[in-house]
Amino acid sequence: MHLPDIVYLSPNKTTEALEVIEDCGNSCSVIAGGTDLMVALKQRLQTPKYLIGLENIPEFKKIEEKDESIRLGPMNTLDEISSSDLIKTKLPALSQAAREVGSPLLRSQATIGGNVCLNTRCRFYNQSQFWRSTREKCYKAGGSYCHVTKQKEKCNAAFVADLVPVLIAYGANIKLAGLAGEKMLSLKEFYTGDSCFPNQILNGDRVILTEIDIPIPKNNIRSVYKKFRFRRSIDFPLVGVAVSLDLDENNRCRDINILLTGVGSAPVEIKKAKKELLGQRWDDELVSSVASLASQEIRPLKTNLVSPRYTREIASLKIKEALQEAGGKNGKNY
Amino acid sequence: MERTIEFVLNGETKKVTVNDNQTLLEVLREKLDLTGTKKGCNQGECGACTVLLDGKPINSCLTLAVRIEGRSIMTIEGVAGKESLDPVQETFNEKGAIQCGFCTPGMVLTTKALLAENSNPTSAEIKEAISGNICRCSGYIKIIEAIQSLAEEQEVM
Ligand SMILES: Cc1cc2nc3c(=O)[nH]c(=O)nc-3n(C[C@H](O)[C@H](O)[C@H](O)COP(=O)(O)OP(=O)(O)OC[C@H]3O[C@@H](n4cnc5c(N)ncnc54)[C@H](O)[C@@H]3O)c2cc1C
Ligand code: SF4
Ligand code: FES
Ligand code: FES
Repeated sequence: MHLPDIVYLSPNKTTEALEVIEDCGNSCSVIAGGTDLMVALKQRLQTPKYLIGLENIPEFKKIEEKDESIRLGPMNTLDEISSSDLIKTKLPALSQAAREVGSPLLRSQATIGGNVCLNTRCRFYNQSQFWRSTREKCYKAGGSYCHVTKQKEKCNAAFVADLVPVLIAYGANIKLAGLAGEKMLSLKEFYTGDSCFPNQILNGDRVILTEIDIPIPKNNIRSVYKKFRFRRSIDFPLVGVAVSLDLDENNRCRDINILLTGVGSAPVEIKKAKKELLGQRWDDELVSSVASLASQEIRPLKTNLVSPRYTREIASLKIKEALQEAGGKNGKNY
Repeated sequence: MERTIEFVLNGETKKVTVNDNQTLLEVLREKLDLTGTKKGCNQGECGACTVLLDGKPINSCLTLAVRIEGRSIMTIEGVAGKESLDPVQETFNEKGAIQCGFCTPGMVLTTKALLAENSNPTSAEIKEAISGNICRCSGYIKIIEAIQSLAEEQEVM
């Protein structure tokens, strides 16, 4: 598995990078840490002519606190994110999620920007060219049929990035820069829900992710990330659960966000169960019943090697764990 | 596209002509004949291709060679002294932490990086540090024991 022929460029400014993107259109890809893209290139899932490295753009490395928010450049490695004292104290769940991606070897190159822009995955698609050649091309690869659902014209590959549910639970916004200018949007809006083109960039917008802004949560808000995968340093999450919880002085739930990765075409927000929790007094019974209700809201498919039922069962357990840790026993944080 | 890059390899400045589509692993093994760095999965899972980039362990199979311009790489060939092995290599030998040896270059480099950062790691920290270096033979126990005894030696010194 060698890489296809490419020309490598490493501009010093965002505008230079954008000009190249404008000139090359679909024949170029941005490369951050390369931990995902390099594999995709070897597997010929992508065959760009040009690779645009972002490592020489200085502001892409920033980690700063400003106006009640933490601003992160996209080229911070997961190692830098998980070991930053600022992030550990202000955004502990983000630090935790970064520590849970792949192995330490991977995390010293993998970036937060690459994680936010990660493509979806499926056991029929993320394979070598040889492996894939043994069966008909699936819809995502340019055919017409999905091997997972046996239906036509829809891909169901799973969104699996670990940091994204945490970032959305924190209410993160992102900055996208194009030649026409910059725009700020909530991270949630960045995802299309289409497994073939899961975010605005993969959907063809000629922009680069230039910043991730996370409002610093108030003191009483507790956030956690819980992840399940089979082999710790190798596998993507089967399911990951991010929770941010605001309990009032009487232990009633003032606000809560529950977001899942691994179980849909985009990060999945748990909405019905949220309604059941709002205004309620926090206790173990409530948490158990809501966790199982929440797991009924998701529709996992067999894009990996386990049955959807198994995934749902694990999701229920992980949601329960996350809620318990966020709220503590009967709402008494411990 | 071909170009000449300059970087520090095992303490010495090196110039080498690489193609934009070559990985660091390919350049080390195929251009520079440094075959101590192994190719296992070639996709970031096994750690056989571990090298130190500015002191940090990385997967060289996922790294474009052109990107190491101006940086510093250490491979297993740069670990031993002229006359003797490095203490990490010595201890891996003594403690039986090597069987077939395929994972060993990566394990040794990861261990060196760990001990440089944390001279007295707990067993949990050791396991976490080597979690990206897969060993098919040893069952890890001997490797962890070797690293623990190295940490103890550093303590004494
Ligand atoms: C063995 C292995 C295990 C893994 N396990 C996990 C896991 O458990 N959880 C997980 O979430 N991921 C996992 N990954 C995937 C990957 O390593 C991480 O998601 C990582 O954070 C991706 O970042 P990167 O910088 O390497 O991205 P790259 O590979 O450089 O890029 C990924 C995508 O993002 C785009 N991109 C990157 N930065 C920008 C930007 N600033 N603007 C526009 N587009 C951009 C690229 O064009 C590309 O499409 C794993 C990968 C491997 C090989
Ligand atoms: S979900 Fe279906 S269409 Fe999408 S990658 Fe998998 S097999 Fe292909
Ligand atoms: S060969 Fe690089 S991680 Fe396996
Ligand atoms: S000693 Fe054989 S793989 Fe580790």
